[in-house]
Amino acid sequence: MSTLLFEVRLALRDRATWVLLALFAFALAYALNGGAELARHQRAIVGPALEQSRMLDSQVRDALQRQTIDPRQLARQPLVAALPPAPLPTLASGQADLAPSVETVSLWRLQTPTDARSELENPSRLLSGRFDLAFVLVWLFPLFLLGLAYDLLAGDRESGTLRLVLSRGVRPGAWLAVRALARGAPALALALLATWASSWWGDVASSAPDSGARLAHACVLVGAYGLFWLSVAALVNALARSAAAAATALGAAWVAVVLVAPTLLNIVVESLHPMPSRAELVASAREASGDAERRGNEVLNSFYRDHPELAPPGMQVDFAQRILAVQEDVARAMDPVAERFDAQLDAQQRIVELWRFASPAIAVHEALTDLAGTGYWRQRAFREQLAGFKDAVHAFFSPRIHKNNWLTKADADQFPRFVFAEEPAERWSSRVRLSILGVLALAVVAALIAVSRLSARRLAADAR
Amino acid sequence: MILRIARKEFVDTWRDGRFRLGALVTALLLVTAGLLAWRQTERMAQEREAAAALERENWLEQGEKNSHSAGHYGVNVFKPLAPLALFDRGIEPFVGTTLFLEAHRQNQASFVPAQDATAMRRFGELTAAAGLQWLAPLLIVLLAFGSIAGERERGTLRQTLSLGVSPLQLVLGKTLGLGIALSVLLAPLGVAGLIGLSQAQVDPAFGLWTRAGALALAYGLYFALALVGGVAVSALAPNARSALIVLLAMWAAGCVVAPRLASDVAHSRLPLPALAEFEKALGEDLQNGLDGHDTRSKQMEEFTARTLKEYGKSRVEELPFNFYGLAMLESERIAGTVFDHHFGALWDRIEAQDRFVTSCGALAPLLALRSASMALSGTDFTHHRHFAVAAEQHRREFVRVLNEDLKNNAKPGDHAYVAGRALWEQLPQFQLQPLSASTALSVASSGLALLGAWLGVALAALLWAAGRLRSTLA
Repeated sequence: MSTLLFEVRLALRDRATWVLLALFAFALAYALNGGAELARHQRAIVGPALEQSRMLDSQVRDALQRQTIDPRQLARQPLVAALPPAPLPTLASGQADLAPSVETVSLWRLQTPTDARSELENPSRLLSGRFDLAFVLVWLFPLFLLGLAYDLLAGDRESGTLRLVLSRGVRPGAWLAVRALARGAPALALALLATWASSWWGDVASSAPDSGARLAHACVLVGAYGLFWLSVAALVNALARSAAAAATALGAAWVAVVLVAPTLLNIVVESLHPMPSRAELVASAREASGDAERRGNEVLNSFYRDHPELAPPGMQVDFAQRILAVQEDVARAMDPVAERFDAQLDAQQRIVELWRFASPAIAVHEALTDLAGTGYWRQRAFREQLAGFKDAVHAFFSPRIHKNNWLTKADADQFPRFVFAEEPAERWSSRVRLSILGVLALAVVAALIAVSRLSARRLAADAR
Repeated sequence: MILRIARKEFVDTWRDGRFRLGALVTALLLVTAGLLAWRQTERMAQEREAAAALERENWLEQGEKNSHSAGHYGVNVFKPLAPLALFDRGIEPFVGTTLFLEAHRQNQASFVPAQDATAMRRFGELTAAAGLQWLAPLLIVLLAFGSIAGERERGTLRQTLSLGVSPLQLVLGKTLGLGIALSVLLAPLGVAGLIGLSQAQVDPAFGLWTRAGALALAYGLYFALALVGGVAVSALAPNARSALIVLLAMWAAGCVVAPRLASDVAHSRLPLPALAEFEKALGEDLQNGLDGHDTRSKQMEEFTARTLKEYGKSRVEELPFNFYGLAMLESERIAGTVFDHHFGALWDRIEAQDRFVTSCGALAPLLALRSASMALSGTDFTHHRHFAVAAEQHRREFVRVLNEDLKNNAKPGDHAYVAGRALWEQLPQFQLQPLSASTALSVASSGLALLGAWLGVALAALLWAAGRLRSTLA
């Protein structure tokens, strides 16, 4: 313990340490502010949408208490599906600036393959990425740690003090570990502090019941990531002969883990499971709807042949019934095509899940966005529930319009309304725990190799 | 003497295992990126061509209908890929690829490729441009950090200078030697890239070779300033370790932190409206007119009165053409001015943000290079805007032809009027004329100028460092 305190004091006496820590603290605070700003922006978009959805719902219920309503008239109202604000948005902005979180669903446009409109954003900003907490933690935190700990041992080896230390009979493995922790501790503490601050900074975190658990997981994750980089620093120092060589090797390790590995993984997933073409989807959907419209009567007849229970009394068909039958026909042709997009993205994500440990940066980034609620999984849940909602809208209106049944009081409870159901805590926590364990395991492996390279005898020989 | 030093430095560098490893990795990544991009852009170009052909078929085969209904049926146009996108994809993954053209509305391009990708995309894409922008300077740091500081540490610097070599000769020779080593690595890759490009079929209006030449200049300036700056830091640093740390910190600040920080600051200085705000303002102006004096319905009433007066009639049914066709033409004209105003302001703002980020290149040269590289490759916002504007012109022409048909061929009051394939065929398929190389050059010029200025600063620093070299040794 006394060695640890001594090393911390020693590190803090160096002006460079203070400069690095001040820069790191500034970057963390700046990132927290940026994250909170994006979260507020998201709330400003989603809040009114949720309110609109609630209002429409209660208006429909009230109206149905008083009178019966033609379903065609109600089907004209666009229904709003909104993804509520993320549980810990300040932790990681993830795909929040890219993936739409509000979509309007209308019975007459269920088969139109236009995407939900994205917010207005400068595409070069999306290209650069956000200066958010996840960026500072995944990209910059290791750089600061390495800046503080790159010459754990190599410098002493160069200057000859290593020989002095060894002559006092210390255990080199333990000494290196204590030293690494002491050098890294201030940066580690700042990173953990900022992670914790993401739960209250800017007052944008949601009051979801599992927020506390998410935050605890995030802290452990960030700690594990810090330990991984300190172990790498120890390993490189156990092998390197000079401080410059250690710095070069650590710089290369950072580039490989944070810059190169993720882009290579991206290439792998996109080559193995290339996305179908949206352009072709759009054109084929129009082809299908054109076909169906041209075959209008034929489509309608075959529809009522397949669904005699839906045929209107006396087969008096109106415009709305015709459109619905055409839509069903288009859906049969297009659903499998549209599903391929989700299937391919799922397949891509499975590879990312499998190979995230190729680089702890990937594992940590994925886990941080997962915890924040701005990553793939929550978006996927939204997309799935949205698809379910569209089905529900269709299932509600289609039979009533076909059979010319007006809506009554009894229909009020079944009127579709989108309410997003958050993923159960066990699901995200099992994914994140695996990430934490993986990163810790990599840290332990690096540390064990470092220690095994560090027998006192070998060091003494080196020092000579 | 300079050449002799350069030769020695070159030979030393090539013998250095670290450089060979770094060079090998960089070359492999660049080649992989180039080949993959080639495959991907070919596939995407084919997909978009196929979709455009199918969409043309849909348009022609839409059957007989009222020409205004055909305007609502609309047509999708797909953004063609710029030929140099295989070098630098720029903002392409983050802008829509499909634009739906219909009567009454100017839409925004939809289907952003990055929305159909995992979050791995957000780590950055491995393209040849990314490799040259991020990894090549790291390789240069690796080359340069020990060039003078290492000699100082080993004591050979004092010896060399005592032999009568001037510090200036030494630093220039070293820089030249390292530059040659770097060229030996990069030149073959560049030549291979050029050979690949010469095989591509490119519209001459794109100005491929002018753009490629300017790209070579931009990257040449960037590497030169990194190299000269690297040797200058090495000459100023007390030892190799400090030189390395300073250079790595500069790299991290300039290449990792600067792009995000600059985009953030640009946004807070020049914010964009929220989508809802933008649409609300647009909708209000469509209703009430840009000046807010005359509502759309009042404008149309006045237009009706003017037309009746011009033809000396009292009812629109008495006009010698279908008035609704004419009214639709006028309505589109008025809406066009509103769209131009709002979309123009939005796009101006985005370009202003981009210009601000480029001007941050005065602090981080990567930003100057990135903007020049995207502009020259045809993958920056100016090129995207060019597509959006061309598509909008196409939309207006297409709606005009349909409304003219309604005006001239539908009898007044005839709601059953339908047009057919003969009219659909009159509407040409969308063809994007590429933005000229001179426009791209003028967008890239500020980035190029900043890179030139940076090289000047780096050279001055090198000269100053050479001047200090003797005094610090003494």
